[in-house]
Amino acid sequence: MIEAMPVITTNPAAGLRIEGLSRHIGGRSLLSDLNLQVAPGECLALLGPSGCGKTTTLRLLAGLDAASAGRILLDGDDISRLSAGDRRVAMVFQSYALYPHLSVADNLALGLRIRGMGAREREERIAAVLELLQLSELRLRRPAQLSGGQRQRVALARALLRQPRLVLLDEPMSNLDAQLREELRPELRRLLCGGEQPVVYVTHDQQEAMGMADRIAVLRDGHLQQVGSARELYERPANRFVAAFLGRPAINLLPPEAGRQLGLRPEHLQPVASGGIPARLQRREWWGNQQLLWLESARGDLRLLVAADLELPEDLQLGWRPDHELWFDSHSGERLAGP
Amino acid sequence: MSPSLLNSLLMLPALVLLAIVFAWPLLDSAWLSSQASSVLTGLSPIANDGANWQRLLGDARFWQDAAVTLRFAAVSVGLELLLGLAMALVLHRPGRGRGWLRALALLPWALPTTVLALGWRWIYNDPYGPLNAILRAFGAPPYGFLTTPATTWLFTVLADVWKTTPFVALLLLAGLQSIPAELEENLVLEGARPGQILRRLTLPLLKPWISLAVLFRLAQALGVFDLVQVLTRGGPAGSTESLALYAYLNAMRFLDFGYSATVVIATFLLLVLLTAIGWLLLVRRPLEASR
Amino acid sequence: MRSLLLLWSLAPLAWQLYTSLVTPEALVNGSGVAAGSFWTLENYRQVWLADPPIWRYLLNSAVVGGATTALTLTLAVPCAYGLQRQGGRLRWAVTLALLATAIFPTVLLFLALLQLARALGLANNLLALSLPYAALCLPLAVLLLRAAFAELPAELEDAARLEGLNLPRRLRHVLLPLLAPSLASTAILVFLFSWNEYPIALTWISRPELLTLPPAIARIAGSSLFTVPYGAFAAATVLGSLPLLLIVLIFQRSIVSGLTQGAIKG
Repeated sequence: MIEAMPVITTNPAAGLRIEGLSRHIGGRSLLSDLNLQVAPGECLALLGPSGCGKTTTLRLLAGLDAASAGRILLDGDDISRLSAGDRRVAMVFQSYALYPHLSVADNLALGLRIRGMGAREREERIAAVLELLQLSELRLRRPAQLSGGQRQRVALARALLRQPRLVLLDEPMSNLDAQLREELRPELRRLLCGGEQPVVYVTHDQQEAMGMADRIAVLRDGHLQQVGSARELYERPANRFVAAFLGRPAINLLPPEAGRQLGLRPEHLQPVASGGIPARLQRREWWGNQQLLWLESARGDLRLLVAADLELPEDLQLGWRPDHELWFDSHSGERLAGP
Repeated sequence: MSPSLLNSLLMLPALVLLAIVFAWPLLDSAWLSSQASSVLTGLSPIANDGANWQRLLGDARFWQDAAVTLRFAAVSVGLELLLGLAMALVLHRPGRGRGWLRALALLPWALPTTVLALGWRWIYNDPYGPLNAILRAFGAPPYGFLTTPATTWLFTVLADVWKTTPFVALLLLAGLQSIPAELEENLVLEGARPGQILRRLTLPLLKPWISLAVLFRLAQALGVFDLVQVLTRGGPAGSTESLALYAYLNAMRFLDFGYSATVVIATFLLLVLLTAIGWLLLVRRPLEASR
Repeated sequence: MRSLLLLWSLAPLAWQLYTSLVTPEALVNGSGVAAGSFWTLENYRQVWLADPPIWRYLLNSAVVGGATTALTLTLAVPCAYGLQRQGGRLRWAVTLALLATAIFPTVLLFLALLQLARALGLANNLLALSLPYAALCLPLAVLLLRAAFAELPAELEDAARLEGLNLPRRLRHVLLPLLAPSLASTAILVFLFSWNEYPIALTWISRPELLTLPPAIARIAGSSLFTVPYGAFAAATVLGSLPLLLIVLIFQRSIVSGLTQGAIKG
């Protein structure tokens, strides 16, 4: 496992520190011994397939569920024992969880009112955050009268309004269409990241994780697989799972030989004149900017990603650069240093 | 505080009141059924070695009331189910004013039984009621709807069916609404006729709701009281006297609380037995067959 | 089909209305009566001025209905919330108990409840009547409200918890406003039950001026089986039905959807 160091800050205790966090229910382990650090202003994505423990982690951080073991430190304070309402943690939910019976402004006001903030200060802060998110026009609308993107912005506004010490986002884009998601990524980064509070962002979409986060933590079955920058994870995956989970189209895993297994990314395979693996073209998907080729070879089926305008014969030979090889232990799945 | 403890505390007040009003009376009546408690004992309970239960076994009036109650429940619930299904199908069909139609169809169920029973007494009146007016219009002699021992029970059934069918219809309507329209549309595309859709799709999918309606109505009908008490007072000649009415009369008219409690507990046992049989037939067996 | 259904449901009610508005001669002789002595409001005058007057019973029923509805909701809301949040065997057992009590014919409880009322001095007390009524309504109310709580997205309450709202505040500011339609339909059903309940009112209340409507009507009816003044009775039944008629017609949508939704989700 490669543990990348967080961004260096002057105060080593600043930010979020997760120590040995676990959650078990009735003999089932949802999360085991998670250790992570997130620096102030850093955005960490929790990435993994459904049921991997990423939402569990988020709910433990928020205090919505109780941890079986472990500590959560925020700027050096142990917040593990605090109730959800006392942690000053904001969360953007997958469904946005806007109160359907309240207007946008009242949705934002409820939490402040409960805390006993005076009407004047409340109004000012709400107006400021509405302005920031360009929601001022919509302040009197009900959630049902908003588009998906607008609802998401209201949920963000509610999270930012509280000046939280930690921001959590649970698949905040999964209810938006693909185009909007792409457009919103820079906006979300601008609003959330680089401030004073750490941001933890849960998603199952690797593109989103790579686009949003400074670092990505990959989880599987409640166990942390690897944490690092997108590039580290892609180029030096800790194991076969991370290698296969990141990257689309998925990595080619050749049949194991003598306890080890070779992985080759589709874009790293290239046609060569001689000396490569003989392969036969089966099918072609033309994507406009690229094309994906499905080939049959003696080393199994292979996927090959090449430029869109490349014309290839039916029968060809495939080669690759040795430094693009990714070797795995075929039993444990751990990545090996070399062949 | 653990969530489970909090949940229990939240439920506690309601459960305590339920225990006081449901569990305690049954236990108390069970105990009282072993006591002599009547005007003869000055209304204070004295243990009497199961004399109440011995009396019950030989009490022809109790057994006749049991038969009357069972007959009433079986016929009422059967008719309510058939009519309720028809009513639910009509109420389910889309169309203008469906909400109003549902509300108006529901009215008989929403109004007090005693009020409606009084209304039915007038409808059945001999010779001035509207039913006899209709008979007269056809040249037939007036009929004693509530004074003919052989047939009066049928007219208590009719009044009960009229009053409670809307409830059955509402339950079945809930069931109909839970069936996705696509299922029916697909059958239509496959060329099914309305009768076939009803038999092959609607009824099988309605089964849980039908079971619930039968269990609920069966239990209520076995305890029928308001209707017969106001409509016929158990007459003529005891031909419509229900078990609940007999228990009431024992306590309030004959002032024999011990025996009244015995009738209550006997009725309760009968009720448990029949609903258990209904549960096994309607709920449990289909569940196992579907596995 | 629709008109047949309406005829079946409404004809007996229409006949009551007709009976209440005509003179005894018109009832007996039909169309043979002169037009001037056919329609009359005399029946209504009679029951309105009777001793005790009909409005007294209506008022009593309304008082009991209001108290019962308030008490039932106060107990049912926390219970339904706890039941919905609770898992495992306890939830199963409580649900089963609620179902069993929901179908239980309440008349079988009258004897012991009567003794309870006498022992505790609750007889002839309108507000005390709402205690057993609330208990009898609780199973249905809890089941309906539990289904309604289950409908609310869990994330809404999580969001409110994160904002620091404790349980009473979450209920007041977030959950109950969203449950308003279900609360309304549950309240209406409880009120209907309370308005219509007979055996317990019959045994707990003996003073005429405290009678609720059902035993009052039955008492008038019981005065004689064959020679009752039907016009006056019909007027009483019409007046006794009117409040419910209005409730059902005004809240028809929420009654029907409340019951059907509860049945589907429960």
